[in-house]
Amino acid sequence: MVKSIHIEKLNYVYQSGTPFSRRALTDVSLDIKTGSYTAIIGHTGSGKSTLLQHLNGLLKPTSGSLTVAGNHITSETKNKELNELRHHVGFVFQFPEAQLFEETVLKDIAFAPKNFGKSDEEAEQVAAKMATLVGLPDSVLDSSPFELSGGQMRRVAIAGVLAMEPQILVLDEPTAGLDPKGRLEMMEMFEQLHQEQHLTIILVTHQMNDVANYADHVVVMENGGLIANSTPERVFSDPDWLHKHHLGLPQTTAFAAKLAKQGVPFETLPLTEKQLAEKLAELMPQSGGELHG
Amino acid sequence: MVVPFVYAFNILNLYFFMFRIMVLLILKTKFERERTMDGIIDIKDLCFRYSQENEKLDLSHVDLHVNEGEWLAVIGHNGSGKSTLAKAIDGLIEPESGEIFVDGQKLTEESLWNIRKKIGMVFQNPDNQFVGADVEGDVAFGLENQGIEREEMHIRVKEALQVVNMQDFAKHEPVRLSGGQKQRVAIAGVLALRPKIVIFDESTSMLDPEGRMQIISLIKQMNREEGFTVISITHDIDEASLADRVVVVDDGKIMGDSLPEELFQKGNELIDLGLDVPYPQRLKFELNKRGIQTPSEYMDEGSMVNWLSRSILKN
Ligand SMILES: Nc1ncnc2c1ncn2[C@@H]1O[C@H](COP(=O)(O)OP(=O)(O)OP(=O)(O)O)[C@@H](O)[C@H]1O
Ligand SMILES: Nc1ncnc2c1ncn2[C@@H]1O[C@H](COP(=O)(O)OP(=O)(O)OP(=O)(O)O)[C@@H](O)[C@H]1O
Ligand SMILES: [Mg+2]
Ligand SMILES: [Mg+2]
Repeated sequence: MVKSIHIEKLNYVYQSGTPFSRRALTDVSLDIKTGSYTAIIGHTGSGKSTLLQHLNGLLKPTSGSLTVAGNHITSETKNKELNELRHHVGFVFQFPEAQLFEETVLKDIAFAPKNFGKSDEEAEQVAAKMATLVGLPDSVLDSSPFELSGGQMRRVAIAGVLAMEPQILVLDEPTAGLDPKGRLEMMEMFEQLHQEQHLTIILVTHQMNDVANYADHVVVMENGGLIANSTPERVFSDPDWLHKHHLGLPQTTAFAAKLAKQGVPFETLPLTEKQLAEKLAELMPQSGGELHG
Repeated sequence: MVVPFVYAFNILNLYFFMFRIMVLLILKTKFERERTMDGIIDIKDLCFRYSQENEKLDLSHVDLHVNEGEWLAVIGHNGSGKSTLAKAIDGLIEPESGEIFVDGQKLTEESLWNIRKKIGMVFQNPDNQFVGADVEGDVAFGLENQGIEREEMHIRVKEALQVVNMQDFAKHEPVRLSGGQKQRVAIAGVLALRPKIVIFDESTSMLDPEGRMQIISLIKQMNREEGFTVISITHDIDEASLADRVVVVDDGKIMGDSLPEELFQKGNELIDLGLDVPYPQRLKFELNKRGIQTPSEYMDEGSMVNWLSRSILKN
């Protein structure tokens, strides 16, 4: 049984101890329950990617500590102590190029299963299946992962992470560069893994619609610290606070706020299209209103 | 100039701006699709493949005409050939056949350097374009290459970094920045160059919502106010909707060429083309599912809000 994530007073300074040192995280404390779906939002440069990279030990705290899946990580932790952890945590990087390295697409996706003890043949079977799942055309399987379009690279990176069958999925803007159809398909696929296999998901995103549609928790970062740790309902119910911190609203909430301004009554602003449509259906005259004019 | 405008923005300017847009809109409908013989970019029957072994062409008989001062959005699903097309225009790949004219000049090995000076390209992955040791040096790099004087260079670098709000990071290494910060620096590099043609290849994909809107309005201003020709490759419907014209790339071919509002009529078909469905259309769909009839014509957000509030509040 994989335990939850516990982060305590985490501080991180890039190039610590050099003249170029730069503080990126300040006293971050956070608990993430097993099987939950947490979205992390915040400005460019607020520290989201830095925080995520601690979750599989890519970065180690300058001070403070965290525990992920039973592994305690501090500034003293050695890399070889993290091998076990890295089997459990699947990480989709912000830039897919950063995690591609094999000669061919198929080998790249097969890397984890092979590494975890599957035979070459088995591993490539898993890889081919994953490639189809993420919508990669067969024609690219023998290509170099670096000779692909941006969206195709993204798909290879996601396939490679799914092939390792992680228990925790850490996703850093995993849909940037995907076309809208691919974006929806990937988000639905993550959701399915969350629902059916109870994967713990931590998603960094600038898409407030995705926060509204999928997450059960939201963490808001600003300037290296947490400024909110709550639910989408609560965070998005306070447009003034969001505005003050230069954060956006889901499209539905923004749209409903405009309707509210015109006098349409809402007790609480809806977060998703479906919620808004339900509400409007209640309010609309059954004839469907005037059609032209 | 991009920068002074930012500071000089005032009410008068706003009115003037709106007036110009109205005039432009009127002119646009009047001269819709009337094409001058030589545009700023003319592509004729262009074919390209990455490897001789590829059975299929990666760009297949592409014809494209871009008018000077136009804002062209290029859309299409992943792997359709958008970035390849941009690379061809910038002379980064060599066509198998066909011709490309930029600003009246045919793209050849000899004209390549001259043509590249007229094109500023923001690459899909900013890491692929960083050359400087620090942010400042990176933005200055292109200017140095063009032999711009030191003093002028300093001013332009400073202004460009200010416009994208990265002035505090001037001394940082470009590779040691957050994703969104990298995208901003890449954009600054092109702004400083002030090329006639700017190509943005998904340059807002990692910006926060506020930053994305800022950059989109910057593009708008560059195009509408300063007359830059803009080609924006995008999956973002907000960005595409502001363009004068949208072309759809599919399987290395240009499959469609339309005004944004024509395109948005297509509803769910848009998904197959590689764009999202506009919000009002999505909401209409959900309402129809619940037995509520909606007007059939395309409505933007404003008209949808008006229609809904009128229908609800009249009871
Ligand atoms: N490798 C690095 N070396 C030094 N500083 C860095 C490095 N990576 C990021 N930083 C700095 O640390 C801060 C936090 O960066 P981080 O990448 O965590 O931001 P982010 O919230 O993920 O932003 P974005 O939404 O733009 O991706 C930024 O100010 C950034 O400039
Ligand atoms: N360097 C390369 N070498 C070989 N093939 C490539 C290379 N780059 C792209 N391709 C292939 O060319 C086709 C078009 O790719 P391109 O990058 O132009 O797509 P795109 O429309 O920009 O897609 P995306 O939305 O994913 O960025 C794809 O099938 C891709 O696999
Ligand atoms: Mg980041
Ligand atoms: Mg591309």
